[in-house]
Amino acid sequence: MSVFAAILIGLAMGIIFGFALEKSRVFEPGLIVGQMQMRSFIMLKVFLTAVATGLIVIGILHGFFGVSLYPKNLLYGADILGGLILGAGITLAGACPGTVFAQIGAGYRDAWLILLGGLAGALSFSYAEPSLKPWLLSGGPGKVTLNILLGLPFWALAFGFAVILIALLIALEKWRPWTSEIGANADGLQS
Amino acid sequence: MKLTDRSWSPYIAGILIGLLQIPAFLLINTAIGTSSSYVTVSATLAGFIDPGLLRIDYVAKHLSGVKNWWQVATVVGIALGAFVSSRLSGTVRHAVSPVWSRVLGTSSLRIRFLLSFASGFLLLMGARIADGCTSGHGVSGIAQLAVSSLVTVTAMFAGGMIVALFLRKT
Repeated sequence: MSVFAAILIGLAMGIIFGFALEKSRVFEPGLIVGQMQMRSFIMLKVFLTAVATGLIVIGILHGFFGVSLYPKNLLYGADILGGLILGAGITLAGACPGTVFAQIGAGYRDAWLILLGGLAGALSFSYAEPSLKPWLLSGGPGKVTLNILLGLPFWALAFGFAVILIALLIALEKWRPWTSEIGANADGLQS
Repeated sequence: MKLTDRSWSPYIAGILIGLLQIPAFLLINTAIGTSSSYVTVSATLAGFIDPGLLRIDYVAKHLSGVKNWWQVATVVGIALGAFVSSRLSGTVRHAVSPVWSRVLGTSSLRIRFLLSFASGFLLLMGARIADGCTSGHGVSGIAQLAVSSLVTVTAMFAGGMIVALFLRKT
């Protein structure tokens, strides 16, 4: 595929992604901070629904049609350290690296500074990567997936996991209906 | 559920995002992700000032090819999609979300902008160390049953919730 075609596909997919993020309000800092303070659960609802859908889609594509998987290397130190720093950033930004762009599109000005900070962070990492690699970003057991660890077929574990997530989401929605969490101004804040 | 609605169910949005794995896997041979686009863009720009940067293997891997520029296009698309969606519903946002004056205890824009830059730095430093963010590790990695993604996402929520303890309640 040409890079030009890939860019057109990326734009089309991004527009759908951006629509979904904006309509669900999950790009709202009030909802992200609210999730981290455990007073709003819309972020978790969008996130777990996307994971459950992905499990079914990838379960079919990989399990029945042999489409390749792209799991990432398991590096405990880097995954835990990186995850903690990323999470700290998410709370203070009120955004994830992807939802920053939805904030820009929806008109939040501070999102431009999050983007600039993000570019600076990615560039700093790029300069540091060669010296981090020997002790933080190498070794490890490789691209480990749960189905291999447990010796189960991918599709069976993926579908089973999806069912558990869907049950969890149904319970979550019964406990906290999303319409009660969205706020009068759709920013996740109760007045 | 109309395009002019201000909010949709989180479940509809989650299903749409999950379905995007189909074109990602079948057309681009990858899973949904967003954070490596920051390396592609920042290194491309910085490469004009410091061409030596482009000789770092990690950077070189992010500069060319279908997947990298597909991902850059995806994040641009996210901004476009959110822009169109917010215009369709006529939703107007302030310069910053009102949540910040509540949880930070100050309405100073300068403080918010400084914190925004610093938090963006943390976002991408963390995501690049872990090799993925909420999309690549979260949405895509867990859906591929990757152990690295389960570890990263657990640490991510832990980090986020620990920092949230230092904020004021809204």
